[in-house]
Amino acid sequence: MRPAFEEALARSLPPDASGAPALARAISDAALSPGKRLRPLVALAAANLVRAPEPAAMAVAVSIELVHAASLVLDDLPSMDDALRRRGRPAVHVTHGVAISELAAVALLCRAFEVAANAPELAPAGRARVVAELARAAGAEGCCAGQAADLGADPSSLALEDLESIHARKTGALFVAAVKGGAIAGGAREPSIEALTRFARNLGLAFQITDDLLDLEGDPKEMGKDTLRDGHRANFATLFGAPSSRRLVDELLETSVSALGRFGAKGATLADLARVVRDRRS
Amino acid sequence: MSAGRTVPPVGLDEARRRLRELGYLDGGVERWVFARAFEGRGGLLVPAAVLGAFAAALAAVCAAAAAEPEFVARPLSPVVLLMHLSFAFLVPAALLAAALGQAADRARSPGAGAAVFAAASAAGIFFLWIAGAYRLTRDLPAASLLWGFPVALAALLAARSVRTGYLARAYARSHALPASRGRGLLFGIAVAGLLVAAAVFASRPAAPLPAPLHVSPRRESIVVVAIDGLPADGGGAEARALRALLAGGATGWWAQEKGSPPELWTTIATGVPAARHGVRALERVRPLGSPSALRAPLGTAWYLRGIGPAVGLVASAPVSAADRRALAFWEVAASAGVPSVSVGWWASGPWPGAAVIDNREVLSRAAGGEDGDRIAIEELARNPGRALASVYLPGPDILRREPKRRDREIGRIREFLAREVARARSGETVLLVLTADSHAPPGAHAGAAAFDGSDGRPPATAHIRAVDVAPSILARAGIPVASDLPGRPAAFLFREGSLESLSVPTYGVRAEPPPARSPTSDREYLKKLKSLGYLN
Repeated sequence: MRPAFEEALARSLPPDASGAPALARAISDAALSPGKRLRPLVALAAANLVRAPEPAAMAVAVSIELVHAASLVLDDLPSMDDALRRRGRPAVHVTHGVAISELAAVALLCRAFEVAANAPELAPAGRARVVAELARAAGAEGCCAGQAADLGADPSSLALEDLESIHARKTGALFVAAVKGGAIAGGAREPSIEALTRFARNLGLAFQITDDLLDLEGDPKEMGKDTLRDGHRANFATLFGAPSSRRLVDELLETSVSALGRFGAKGATLADLARVVRDRRS
Repeated sequence: MSAGRTVPPVGLDEARRRLRELGYLDGGVERWVFARAFEGRGGLLVPAAVLGAFAAALAAVCAAAAAEPEFVARPLSPVVLLMHLSFAFLVPAALLAAALGQAADRARSPGAGAAVFAAASAAGIFFLWIAGAYRLTRDLPAASLLWGFPVALAALLAARSVRTGYLARAYARSHALPASRGRGLLFGIAVAGLLVAAAVFASRPAAPLPAPLHVSPRRESIVVVAIDGLPADGGGAEARALRALLAGGATGWWAQEKGSPPELWTTIATGVPAARHGVRALERVRPLGSPSALRAPLGTAWYLRGIGPAVGLVASAPVSAADRRALAFWEVAASAGVPSVSVGWWASGPWPGAAVIDNREVLSRAAGGEDGDRIAIEELARNPGRALASVYLPGPDILRREPKRRDREIGRIREFLAREVARARSGETVLLVLTADSHAPPGAHAGAAAFDGSDGRPPATAHIRAVDVAPSILARAGIPVASDLPGRPAAFLFREGSLESLSVPTYGVRAEPPPARSPTSDREYLKKLKSLGYLN
């Protein structure tokens, strides 16, 4: 599944001959840098679960990854997290400058909508729903809202509910969009979409708590990004403590997998991805 | 933890609660299943095997405790038995767990399969307890039901472990995701198991309390001579002569059932079948470290009588009076105030008002069958003047593989009996001679020949039952017969009008703590029994 996806992702990027080579290089660096590709793989697994046509599923997965890549570029900017490394490489703004990075993020977002809007073997209504899900996940109700809340938060007074609200939008929303997009690509009915949404919400929160734990305890070399950057922030690991956080990760993942019960053995791939979240080291 | 935080850390339970309110952790998760599957331990059914073995062992121990309260009188005994059986049951439990794993690998509907296997395991554990207790005794006290609670708890744990093990295996190996339903079923089974136990245990007839026995005094004393090993037909000249002597009395006969010598003769002595008197085998089992012996509960014989003794973890203990739950005729008589003596009977022991020289005391001093009879008759003679005297003569049975010696011994018995018949004919005593061959095949004839004075009537012969013997003796001794005995006095054996016609509801049960005998003396006695031809 992954090699086919990498190929589709590379194909989806604008050609170098677009007349803005610096932008093209920044887009390419942002999108093709080696990541876990967890979100697009979740989208593909969800699509596979409901027997979506492979080209439609791949288009949804690519658009999800493009939105995610854009969010990372923006997240690392000096005005945001001011991160210097991402995926084992210098952050995009470090290599290409802040202005080009901002443009690349916008271009990646636009490309994501374009890919979703042209998804092959998907009915127009389906394409529209996928685009709407992407927009909701990325926009003022999703990643942007989460990031804004994060930036404006007072770390010393953040309660569990505040943290959840931030991360449900910053992280969880794109996981939800991934499964919904995959399910829509396969024409899934509402109960299936609801079950997949439950899976994605719990998985997204587990992913975020794992992220916080890795930031606290992880090996920067393995992670490919700076650690202890969130020490000045309130996060789940500091709020719950590491042992409880690990326990909650397990329980959230167990809950997410249990949501797949209605799909029987067909849910095995998504369940395996949940295990990947639990075992991840980067 | 960040310094200066104004929000206190959140504990795990609090975090769970608040996350649930936010719409997370809402899956009805089979936590044990996923935790094990995520750890990559889904293929292992070790917890199911261990808990299953423990639960089965506990069920067997509770069965023994319910049926043999004296076994738990020393708390160390059930604890030691539980340890033995827990380890022993690991072997079959591991095999069953392996089969469970195979089934899980092929599961198409893991939820249903897990529920079925869990229900079967819980039902099996309840079966071990209920059927085990019922097989050891039908006379279960109501308090036995209390043992159902630890059994139910263990059955629930085992069933739960089987279910989660099965689901985890199904998930880990076949990628079939488990359903999260069916947990209520296990509680249903536990409750059903307790209800079944209550119904089974309550179905036993309520035992009335024993009433005081009012004896109608008799002038004659009664002598009961039991001869084990006298062939019903054939044999040597002495055997034929003895049968001819006995034919001079009124004779009742019955077809023997299959059973060990203690079982057959205890049925005769108590007037109740083995299911009620509880004496079945020559031996009981004593797990290493246990101060008490017991009968092997259902499902444990393969270890307690097979592998355990073979590897030295289980010893044998001879059957004793403590194993008997029904009163023998000499004990009823003594309780009624009729002085009695009993010599050499199986599973006999001290009883207030009775002089009892038990089988162990006689046989341990005997070098052979002749000695056994001689010692028994001598002991009988040492206790004269008893209104009810009984002796068990084991010689012909011990000598059953040596026909000539046996015939000579039968000759000596015949001489003894000839004297007793003469006394009986003179009206001094009432003589009842019981003959059975406890090593004869089932269906062989056994009999009771009575000599009760000399009234000139031709000797009568009729079919009776083994359980009729004890009530016949007691009625002839003027003691009311218990209505709860399955047998009835055989009036034709005795002088007309000589039997007590009154009855009482019951004689009650025999309850006696096990004798404090050392395993060493038990071993010596068993060795002696073996040398005399028993236990082969």
